[in-house]
Order: sequence, then C-alpha cells, then structure tokens
Amino acid sequence: MKQLIAKRLSLLVFVLFGVTLMTFFMSHVIPGDPARMMVGQRADEETLQEVRRQLGLDQPVWVQYFSYMKGLLTGDLGISIRTQQPVIDDLVTFFPATLELALFAFLLAILIGIPIGILSAVKKDTAWDHGGRLFSIAGVSTPVFWSGLVGILIFYKLLGWLPSGGRLELGAAAPQHITGLYLLDSLLTLDWDAFRNSLWHLILPALTLSFAQLAIVTRQVRASMLEVLGQEYIRTAMANGIKGPLLLFRYALRNALIPTITVVGLSFGSLLGGAVVTETIFGWPGMGKYVVDSIAYLDFPAIMGFTLVIAVGYVLINLLVDLTYYLLNPQIRE
Amino acid sequence: MRRLLHLPFSILLVLALVLSACSSSTSPPQTDSKPSGQEEQPAQAGQSGGATPSDTLVVAISSDQGTLDPAVSMDNSAWKITYPTYQRLVEYDGASTEVKPGLAKEWQVSPDGLEWTFTLNEGFKFADGTPVTADAVKFTFDRTLAIKKGPYDVYSVIKEVKVNSPTSVTFVLSKNFPPFLSTLAANYGGIVNPKVKEHEKDGDLGQNYLANNTMGSGPYQLEEWIKGQYFKLTPNPHYPEQPALKTVFFKIISDPTAQRLQLEQGEVDIAEGIPVEQLNAFDNSPNIEVLQNPSLFVDYVYINTSKGHEALRDKRVRQALSYAIDYNALAETVQQGYATQMRGPIPKGMWGHDESAHQYSYNVEKAKALLAEAGVSNLELTLLYSDNKPWWETEALTLQAFFADIGVKLNLNKVAYATSREMMDKGDFDLCLGVWSPDFADPFMFMNYWFDSNNFGLSGNRAFYKNDKVDELVRKAASINDQAERTKLYQEAQRIVIEEAPYLYLYQKDSLLPVNKAVKGYVYNPMLEGIYNLAEMSK
Repeated sequence: MKQLIAKRLSLLVFVLFGVTLMTFFMSHVIPGDPARMMVGQRADEETLQEVRRQLGLDQPVWVQYFSYMKGLLTGDLGISIRTQQPVIDDLVTFFPATLELALFAFLLAILIGIPIGILSAVKKDTAWDHGGRLFSIAGVSTPVFWSGLVGILIFYKLLGWLPSGGRLELGAAAPQHITGLYLLDSLLTLDWDAFRNSLWHLILPALTLSFAQLAIVTRQVRASMLEVLGQEYIRTAMANGIKGPLLLFRYALRNALIPTITVVGLSFGSLLGGAVVTETIFGWPGMGKYVVDSIAYLDFPAIMGFTLVIAVGYVLINLLVDLTYYLLNPQIRE
Repeated sequence: MRRLLHLPFSILLVLALVLSACSSSTSPPQTDSKPSGQEEQPAQAGQSGGATPSDTLVVAISSDQGTLDPAVSMDNSAWKITYPTYQRLVEYDGASTEVKPGLAKEWQVSPDGLEWTFTLNEGFKFADGTPVTADAVKFTFDRTLAIKKGPYDVYSVIKEVKVNSPTSVTFVLSKNFPPFLSTLAANYGGIVNPKVKEHEKDGDLGQNYLANNTMGSGPYQLEEWIKGQYFKLTPNPHYPEQPALKTVFFKIISDPTAQRLQLEQGEVDIAEGIPVEQLNAFDNSPNIEVLQNPSLFVDYVYINTSKGHEALRDKRVRQALSYAIDYNALAETVQQGYATQMRGPIPKGMWGHDESAHQYSYNVEKAKALLAEAGVSNLELTLLYSDNKPWWETEALTLQAFFADIGVKLNLNKVAYATSREMMDKGDFDLCLGVWSPDFADPFMFMNYWFDSNNFGLSGNRAFYKNDKVDELVRKAASINDQAERTKLYQEAQRIVIEEAPYLYLYQKDSLLPVNKAVKGYVYNPMLEGIYNLAEMSK
C-alpha cells in the first residue's frame, strides 16, 4: 500500500511537469499581449515596453518558463497580472469556495444517487425503475445554466425559500477562517448563524451542480447492481436464506460499488473543473469565475496556477479511487 | 427490503426539512414588495426578498475587479469603487464635461502652458485623519511616474511637481498639453495618502496594498472587499459633509437574469449588467425605471486605409461603404433604438462637436455609383470583431446585409478579444468593429488619437490613416490653450476626415441604467461612465 502511494505520488511530478509545459507554451503561443491588457489600449510604446519588462515578457519564452519553474519549486506561483496579487493568495481565496460547492454536490450525488440506483435495480422494470430512469435522463440532458435559473425562479422568486446567490448574506460575517469551507469552519467554531447562513446559500447551487452527476451515479449503480444480483454467489447466498438489507448491502452492493467508484471519482474531478457555469449563475465566488476572468485578461500566472490545482486534484482523486479499490477488493492487494 | 424503500424518501424528507428550517430561520416571511425607503429593517442588507434599508445602496456589478491602485488601474470598471474614495485637484461639474474646483480651490496656467499652479482648499483629510497637503499631491504624481504603469502614459508629460507651500503646488510640463487639467479629474488623478509608504513591500511603492485597499480623502472609504462577492464602502469619517448613504455595497452578480430578479425583488437598487434587450421588461414596473442618457461612448468601424484591401485606399470606396448603411435601422436592430447616429468623429456632448458637419445617410444608388466611379467590382472584404461586446455579432451581420446590397461581400472573422487586439495593432484586417470612450473631456481624445499618423495601431489611429494636412491641424490644436482657436482647428480637420471617411462613424450609444425608483440624486456624467456620485445620492 505504501509502495502504491509512493509510486503514484512520484508519477505526480511527471504529470505536473507535462501540464506546466503544455499550458505555458500554449498560453504563450496564442496571440495577445497581457502587457497591452494592463496598460490600457492607448499607451505608447515606451510604457508598453516598460510594463513588458516588469512582467518579464521581454524574455524568450523558454527563459520565462524556466524562471516560472524555478519559482514553482519554491512554492511561488508568480503574481497575477490582473489582480496584482500573488497567485497563491488568489487560489487560497477562491479554491475553498469551489471545493465546498463540489464536495457538497458530490455528497448529494452519492446520497441521492446510490439509493435511487439500488432501488431501480431491485425494482427493475417497475414504475420505480422508470421513474428513476426519467429522473436521471432529465439530469444528464438538462444544461446547468437552465436548471440553475429554473431553480432560482422557483425557490427564490416564487417561494422565497432560498437566496438567489452568493455564499453568505450580503454583509454577514464569515466564520473564522480555518479551512475556508464555510460549512466546515462554522461547524468547527460552533458558529450556528454562519452555519445556517452558508448551508442556506449552498443548497441551490449544489443541487444544480449535482443534478447531472446524480444521473450518472444512478445509472452506474443500477447497471452494476443488476449485474451483481444476477451472479451465482448471490443465488447461493439467497439459497442459504440470506435476504433483505444484509444480502443487498453486505453481499451485492460491495461488489457493485467497485465500477461505481471509478465513475464517481472522475465525476468529482469534473465537478471541480466544471463548476464555472454554476458559479456564474449563482454568483459563487469560486475559482471557475476567477479563471474565466483571467483567461479574458491573458493573465498567464493565474491560468497556470488554476491548471496546476486542477491537475493535482485529478491525480489525487485517481489515487484515492485506487486506494478505495484496494480496500474494497482484497484481490487487488496482491 | 421494504425498509430499504424508505431510504430515498427519508433523505428527501430530511433535505426538505433542512430546507424549510433554513428558510424560515434566516429569511423573513415574504411580503409583497413594499415601497422601499420607509423600511425599518435590521442593518444587515440584502435579506432575501426584502428591500434594502434606506441608508444602504446595493449596486449589482457583473464581475470582480482587478487592482484598485489609481496609479495602476486603467480598467474603468474598477473606477466605480475607487472614484468616490479619492479626491482630485479638480472634479467634473455635475453632468457637464467642464471641471470645477475639487481639492484645489483655484489654479493658474502660465502663458506658454508649461506651468500649472494649484492652490489647495484647507480642511480635507484622508480617511485616517491625515490632512491633505501639497506634499501629498507631489507624492501621488511622483509615485505614478515611478510605478510606470498605464497612468504613467497619461502623465509622462509632467517634468516635475514642485511644492511651493503646504497649500500650493506647481506642475511643470515638458510640453504644452491643453487637456492636462481634464486629465486631473480622471480616476488616476486621485490623491493618495503618503502614509501608503508604511505598507511598502519589496519597493513596490505600496502597489500590493493599494490593489486591495483605498487610501484617499473622498467621501467614502473601502471597508471590506470579499473577493468574488462584494465591495463595501462606508463614509470617510473626516469628510466635511457626511453623505446620506451610510453603506454602499457593490455586489458581484455575473448572471444577467439573476441581476434582474434581484432588482425586481428589491434586493439590489441598481443593476448594471442587464442587456439592452431585457430592459423592456421594466416598462410597466411600478418600482423600477430605466434611466436613459446620451453618452460619449461611440461604436464605429475602422477602415484599414493602408494595410487592408487595396480598394480601401480609394476614398470613394470608403465613402460608398459609408453610404451603404441605414443608420437608423442599425441603431434599432443593434441597440433597440437607444443610440444616435454620429456626425463625424467628435460626439455630441463634447466641445468641438460640429452640428453643421456632413453626416452620411443611407443611399444605395450613390454608394453603387461611387464604387463604379472607383472602378471597383466584386469587392470582397473581411470584417474583424470579437466577443468583447455582446452586440457585435448582430452588428456584423447587419453590416454584412447592407454591404451585400451594394455588391460588396463581407466575410466575418470573429476571434477572441485578446487576439483581435493583436490583429488591430498590426493592421491585420480590412474592416474592424470598435468602440471608444474618452478618458478626459477634450476633443484631443478623438481627433489626435484617431487621426494623428504617429498613433498607428491600437494606440488610436486604427485606420492607419495618414493625411499631412490633418496631422498638421490636430497637432497644432494640441499645442495651444485657446479653446475657441482649438475648436476651429479641430472642426477644419473634422471636415477633412468626414469627407475622406477612414472610419464608418456609426453611433453614440445611450447609457441605460435600471434603477429602483427609491434612489434619488443620481447624476449621470458622460465622462464618468459607470461611476456614481454616491455622496449626493440618497434613498
């Protein structure tokens, strides 16, 4: 197990090297000049050159790349051109919001998706199954910008139950910063007002974001449950008088979960990277919005920082998926 | 097995309970929108569904901002935050493009235009209580010139700033620059508290600190900026006249529909990000009005007169294109009619505008005749544009249709914004859509930037147009201080550039702002697009 982790983590270095190389050169090859974006459109050549020099853009690309990598090794991700802040500070500001949203959406997808999947498998070809299918098809085929707006229309405008966006009420105090995840921080500090406030703001965006994932989880659980339930060891177990929840959870579900974990794990990655639209609709101050603004501004250091975080995230999730396999399936341990 | 069936329902039930618990505990019961302005609500703003308190203004803005440092920021969407937090030597007067005393109570300029001396008002203080002195003025401009970012370009004409006494300061310019006074009223003229030096890091002159904080003497100060969520301004306690609005939020709401819903619910008072085609929705609203004002923001087309298609070097072809456009239909299609056709380069509302100048009108026959006269047939041109302005797609298609009527085929080339700027700079296009708005109130902003052949490319002359007579006229106009004389020179140059048509002068856009009717005292100044006179506003 330790070997596995060590091996995977050493792979991380290569992955990150590849990712930085590709992102760096791609973002420098496309036409556009961040110095221009910064000085405004009417500046003269002298000012422009000065700003280029300040940003290091007057150096050849490979020199820029090496100085970037040198900084990276010491944990320095550079200064954002747009916000004039160290990129690492910006990421620390925006990443927890995205992570919180993705985690909560992920949790919802699992908590709702797995039971519906099991139910659809157990009650195959009944109204339950059809209902589940309808639900998941709706989930996959509804674009987020639409389901988000419909959600706002119903829960904010018509019913007035939920806010239309933001992480907290305007001007409300955020919980003391520990992890940056408001829900968790307010729990840890027993700040119930902040907890209620952030949960109340989190529900609608998280539901919207989880809708599509939920469908994928449901379909996957249903398919693998059906496959497992048809296998001989289940029939043997049933012949031995094992039935009900024991049969389902202890015997069937555990095996059915293995393929599900791959799907779910990767879907978490896409939740992280794909929260942009949800963040825009709900005014959620996450990384998605930050990187879109950065791209429009050709803010190379910020784009690089974002890409790195997502790449590390994917690698870590993959590692987690593998470790979970390892725990669930003793055969892999060999 | 049956117990299992309950699982999804229990989860749903729990969720529903949590949902209703949250909503009932945190949001007040929904009442039909009360007229705002007489609320007795707790100080916390933005309660779902309720109107905001009467001493609180909530403005919905579309995106977060970059740096707030007046010596760095060239992005005028950030200026709505900083402008009310700093004071300048002179300020724009109400709705006009003229300046009035600000920090300075009076000023003199030497006959050669090289020395500007300002006498400061006493009694203004920065938000930390430090008095504003001539030293602070010198510090501010020295700092901007040392940082050498965008605003440096505007002030590079300053040779030296001399402190004569605590209330008197002289700017020595390296050459006469008539618009100088007007540049002092722009955002980058904001006077910075010299104590910013205490926040200096690695010799950055406090850039890092001022990127996120304000240190000015304006009526407000930035109290809180939660990245990605909102800016909160509160009054500067040392400002002589305390404003009526005690709290101003700039709330970041990217989605236009969400902005509209929150405006309708009274959760925000002003919404900046609602596209023009959605504004009709407020026509019958009892609480919301759309304020309409003519702006100095122009939308035009650069005709590449030297690096583009060969035919475009002939002014008759450029005139033909100018005659091919139905300007009223264009304004109607693209801007829902909220626009006015331009009459030459200097827009209405800016001094130097010539109401008697020639204005191109829709005349297909004349356009065809001009093309025939130029000996051009089967002309095929490329129109460059980007996604920078949402209406450009429609505008490009409309122009394509108009040009087809005179036998000119227009190919559309839509690229990313940053790419389009690169191509504009290099002159890599035949025609290109563009917008322009003045940074200071002087026809210099249009005539010298657009037509001086020293400004080829992005810096202004995007038509790559060169005419010796025009060069001479606009340069002369930029070297003297007599406004009447300058007007004459600019109008003479204007007649030439209208006739030679290096640009398609399309329209001046109206500024449209949906506002809750409870908001009082807002004055639109075309030089301060998107900036609010918060200190005079109330609810």
